[in-house]
Amino acid sequence: MPDIKLSNGVVINFDNSARTLLDALEREQLEVNFHCREGYCGACRCKLLSGEVNYINEPLAFVRKGEFLPCCSVPVTDIEIEIP
Amino acid sequence: MAYTTFNRQINDQMKEPMFFGNPVNVSRYDQQKYGIFEKLIEKQLSFFWRPEEVDVSKDRIDYQNLPEHEKHIFISNLKYQTLLDSVQGRSPNVAFLPIVSLPELETWIETWAFSETIHSRSYTHIVRNISAEPHKVFDDIMLNEKILERAEDVTRYYDDLINGINLYQRCGEGTHSINGETHSISLYELKRRLYLCVMSVNVLEAIRFYVSFACSFAFAERELMEGNAKIIRLIARDEALHLTGTQHMLNIMAAGDDDADMAKIAKECEEEAYTIFRKAAEQEKDWAQYLFKDGSMIGLNKDILCQYVEYITNSRMQAIGMKAIFPTTQNPIPWINTWLVSDNVQVAPQEAEISSYLVGQIDNEVDGGDFGDFDL
Ligand code: FES
Ligand SMILES: [Fe+2]
Ligand SMILES: [Fe+2]
Repeated sequence: MPDIKLSNGVVINFDNSARTLLDALEREQLEVNFHCREGYCGACRCKLLSGEVNYINEPLAFVRKGEFLPCCSVPVTDIEIEIP
Repeated sequence: MAYTTFNRQINDQMKEPMFFGNPVNVSRYDQQKYGIFEKLIEKQLSFFWRPEEVDVSKDRIDYQNLPEHEKHIFISNLKYQTLLDSVQGRSPNVAFLPIVSLPELETWIETWAFSETIHSRSYTHIVRNISAEPHKVFDDIMLNEKILERAEDVTRYYDDLINGINLYQRCGEGTHSINGETHSISLYELKRRLYLCVMSVNVLEAIRFYVSFACSFAFAERELMEGNAKIIRLIARDEALHLTGTQHMLNIMAAGDDDADMAKIAKECEEEAYTIFRKAAEQEKDWAQYLFKDGSMIGLNKDILCQYVEYITNSRMQAIGMKAIFPTTQNPIPWINTWLVSDNVQVAPQEAEISSYLVGQIDNEVDGGDFGDFDL
């Protein structure tokens, strides 16, 4: 069960009851921007500071280096992220 | 240089740049230089919808019961949306098709513009329903100063590009005397106009439209004008795709692997790009002032909408690698997100409100009494 470390120090555990990273973050009452929740709008973009994520479906939205889309991904290792 | 509808030059399409290479000959999708545009086409096709599928008849009663200042907000917002989609329904085709060099991008542009024509048609569907005199609403678009002011900036970059392309494709690079007037054009200048045009399209679709969506959904948050909101949701779903397409184009241009000139131009135009965003944000705030001039509505007022303008402008700028220009970091209307989630958008025929599922076109004339305390 990978850990998600936020840039403010908070650590949450990603267990498989959450479908996506976005779901897991919201469950902790963290506010992440979103629109489509399907990987095509890019609204949920966050920074991936370390670790690796896997996309459930290849997203259409543009993702720059060092960023990822929590709405359609799950962590494969412990990750460190920053929510804008 | 000159455009041809079926370029006889045998070329490797995989080696063409997005724009200003060979005109496209065979429309083939077995291979793509940029697979993303193929995926966007597929997605856009899967989104297909028709305005008539959404029953907006209940909105008529809602509209009649709105106080005057809210009528003004609703109808002005709709007029602005009509203007924006009038432009978007034709301009990508006219501006980009004569210069595009990749089949997948060419078809993405056509598919994109086609979906905009659906948006335009849906405004007629909405207006016909709420007004006994729809022509007055549409006629006013061409007379309303506030809207025309907006049209100027929305179309300028398209027109500059289109005029430049016409000159270039007819006369080539250089200085030309046409009807006693002197005009100069170079390929580099054309590429610069293209870059700025795509940037301004991004602003149109990623900022201006979202500000208008906020107004549409603010009514629906109060369970008013819900038919309209259903249509706007479908439009918003399309727009999210369009702006993703435009962001991809901008990022491919800036990276320079596709066309080294474009990367240089992206750097040179940085200042101008900031100006385009800043000016659009100012205009949208101005517009908010006009919308709410006679009063606010529950859940939305001038200040909140202006904060949203700042918030969405920042986030759109960051998406294409620019720096935020406003201090706002929080979305002042987080409720808008739930209206923009795609899996809540359903156009299933079994849904009672879908008129085309009903046999024949039943009488849509209803008044409040017909509903009683019936909750839709
Ligand atoms: S919410 Fe649209 S890409 Fe994540
Ligand atoms: Fe549109
Ligand atoms: Fe669009």
